[in-house]
Amino acid sequence: MNTSLELLRTEQLTKIFPGVVAVDAVDFDVQAGEIHALVGENGAGKSTLIKILGGVYLADSGKIVMDGREVAFASTHQSQVNKISVIYQEFNLVPDLSVAENIFMGREPKTAGGALIDFRRLNARAAEILSTLEMPLDVRSFVSDISVAQRQMVEIAKALSYESRLIIMDEPTATLTEKEVRKIFEIVKNLRERGVSIIYISHRLEEAFELADRITVMRDGRKVGTKAAAETNKDEIIEMMVGKVVRDYFVKAGAAARTDVPLLEVRNYSVADAVEDISFTVHKGEILALAGILGSGVHRLLQSLFGVIPKKSGGVFFEGRKVEITRPRDAIRLGIGYVTEDRKNAGLLPAMSVLHNLTIIIIRALSLLRGLFIRDKEERRRFEGIRQTLDIKTAGPGQRIIYLSGGNQQKVLIGRTLLTDCKALILLEPTRGIDVGAKAEIHKMLRALADKGLSVIMTSSELPELVNLPDRCIVLYKGRKAAEFTRETMDSEKLVAAQIGHAANDGGARP
Amino acid sequence: MIRFLKLYEKFGIFIFIFAGAVFLAFATPNFLKLDTILNIIAQGSYAAVVGYGMTLAVTSGGFDLSVESVMALTSVFLAILIPVIGIPLAIVASLLVAAFVGMLNGLIISKLKVNPLITTLSMMTIIKGVALLCAGGKMIVILQKQFMSIGTGKLLGIPIPIYIMVVFFGIFYLVLYRSSFGRHVAAVGSNENAVRISGVNVDVVKIGVYVLVALTSGVASVVRTSQALIGMPSMSPGFVLVALTVTILGGTSLTGGRGNLWGTLLAAVFISMIYYGLNLINVQIFYQMLSVGLVLMLALFIEGLRLRYLKAAKAKGIKV
Repeated sequence: MNTSLELLRTEQLTKIFPGVVAVDAVDFDVQAGEIHALVGENGAGKSTLIKILGGVYLADSGKIVMDGREVAFASTHQSQVNKISVIYQEFNLVPDLSVAENIFMGREPKTAGGALIDFRRLNARAAEILSTLEMPLDVRSFVSDISVAQRQMVEIAKALSYESRLIIMDEPTATLTEKEVRKIFEIVKNLRERGVSIIYISHRLEEAFELADRITVMRDGRKVGTKAAAETNKDEIIEMMVGKVVRDYFVKAGAAARTDVPLLEVRNYSVADAVEDISFTVHKGEILALAGILGSGVHRLLQSLFGVIPKKSGGVFFEGRKVEITRPRDAIRLGIGYVTEDRKNAGLLPAMSVLHNLTIIIIRALSLLRGLFIRDKEERRRFEGIRQTLDIKTAGPGQRIIYLSGGNQQKVLIGRTLLTDCKALILLEPTRGIDVGAKAEIHKMLRALADKGLSVIMTSSELPELVNLPDRCIVLYKGRKAAEFTRETMDSEKLVAAQIGHAANDGGARP
Repeated sequence: MIRFLKLYEKFGIFIFIFAGAVFLAFATPNFLKLDTILNIIAQGSYAAVVGYGMTLAVTSGGFDLSVESVMALTSVFLAILIPVIGIPLAIVASLLVAAFVGMLNGLIISKLKVNPLITTLSMMTIIKGVALLCAGGKMIVILQKQFMSIGTGKLLGIPIPIYIMVVFFGIFYLVLYRSSFGRHVAAVGSNENAVRISGVNVDVVKIGVYVLVALTSGVASVVRTSQALIGMPSMSPGFVLVALTVTILGGTSLTGGRGNLWGTLLAAVFISMIYYGLNLINVQIFYQMLSVGLVLMLALFIEGLRLRYLKAAKAKGIKV
């Protein structure tokens, strides 16, 4: 490829966060008018890289060269002035404003006096941009009323209104339907024809191959390599993504841990807009992982099993009996615990102490006279029990939960469910956002609990956790079962392949 | 400094009370008399009792603007019912009416998911209208003189309202700090989603909170109505602001999750002291209102500084 066509390149770009090198000496380049796919596992550094290009983070070292000149973006505004637009997964749109207002936010055409917005011109110009993209969308509709795919289009239109030469899209299709994905593809290809460069981040490999001219793979903050899409294949890319996953870095199952006694059976289970016709069984003392990337429906499936969101159809059998779980209380009564992936918004009680955070789930049962008088000593005793079992490090029961480390907060949330003496535990992203040491501790703890007979159903977006922790791993792709692995058949490359929809050569023990 | 700030979080209101007391003691010789002090406390009792309810509501992450209308409605019902069914039954019936209004608040907020501000604001207007309708638009004189003893009587030399204030403090202390319901209330104020996932029936908790707030308004109204011997359909305009003031001044976090009942009690006494004390030294009522507003602003200002200082200290790695 001719270097004179280069739009942007990074040289030895590095960004360090406390405890982790997020982007490690990356040389990356984008040609004018190309679609460049950026792929890699979670935590590979893709997001940090695009945030540096978008002016959210300032690189610690290395440089960015655009049109042969060295540039640095200290703010998102500077990045925008240099004709770069980033479309993040969480859109940057104001729901209560119209499509047109969002596109020209802060740059609305004014009336003659300059005081008022000229809505006629505003709407006309917005409609003009949308029509060049062949987007049938009323510019006067509120953003809150349009679909996710349409919001994506508004973001693209906004980028075009800045006459952006580089548009960076972070997993644009993760939550879209097949039809909407086709539409976005058309638009992206249309942009390329107009000479706009695209950096396209996706977890779905087939998309990268369909769209991209070149594919860059990142892993652990480093760039593994860049390939022309025509000269590589999915297997090679997957190999580059996965590298070598260290096996056996977690504690192995105890010899007689897993039993064949079924505890929880899920039959033909469907959740609206998430999963279709899923069936699986969890045995006593087993750790089962349900793996799947964003958009696979795994999170919603697990939330539905606990009664957080409703199911569409299907049955659940617990200890051989058919049960109906319509709200969390039903699940807790049966003996199912749940640890959220969203500690901050659905787990912690930030204003309260460690003790109160832990015992909230059983406080009524801990009290005399139907909840009238809390038995302090009993509460402390239960707290001590969990603190010792899970080795929670806290200054004392009265310490505010928010002053604990992420790992210890997570232990408190796991401890909370254990207080209910549950038989099954649903864990979403059990080690998200906590440091490596605490991760290993939590893995060890989960294994120990399973060895004592607790059944664990977990999901994780971290590959080592999926490869090493569970006894079995079921992979979901776009709401359907794509593959299943046991400890014996587990293979990190095949696991990744199944997760990103490349299950053609899945060698797992598929039922 | 951090130690001081922590102490301030717990006992800040004492500093205000102490400073106010010293000032008034110097300003007027009448201040440091047992009668004066008892009077001040008794005058603060309504604000304290309604403040307990408000503290509970704010701890749950909401609040209740309808308290003064509930007081008015209770007052009207007392005046209407006392001649018909006698004093004790009339009190019970009026409190039930108050509790019913609270239940409506709770149902609308929890089941229909309407914002507490809007719900209780509408309820305030509606109930005020209902009270005026029931009373036919005028005050109703109560002829049964015995009823007066609740608000003006004394037991062992101490006014009855003080006993009521203390007894309700005890009840609310148990509810908020010693019962599982109180723990649920604080948890709902701290993070409603987390509580729901923990299997707690959040709707029931919220309904309970608003019933209790309405009950405190009813009790305060019984005392006031008894003092005046008049059913007042427009009782205590603006009283909701007093109830909110004592709650916030007392140190209950407006973001929910942390209620300070002691603070509410002391703040009620403090506000009463300002009104009564400034009255003693013949300061005009306008200045009294002005000074209460200023004190509230000062308290919030110090609170803001405190939080910023603690945050800065934490950023620097100082353990707090």
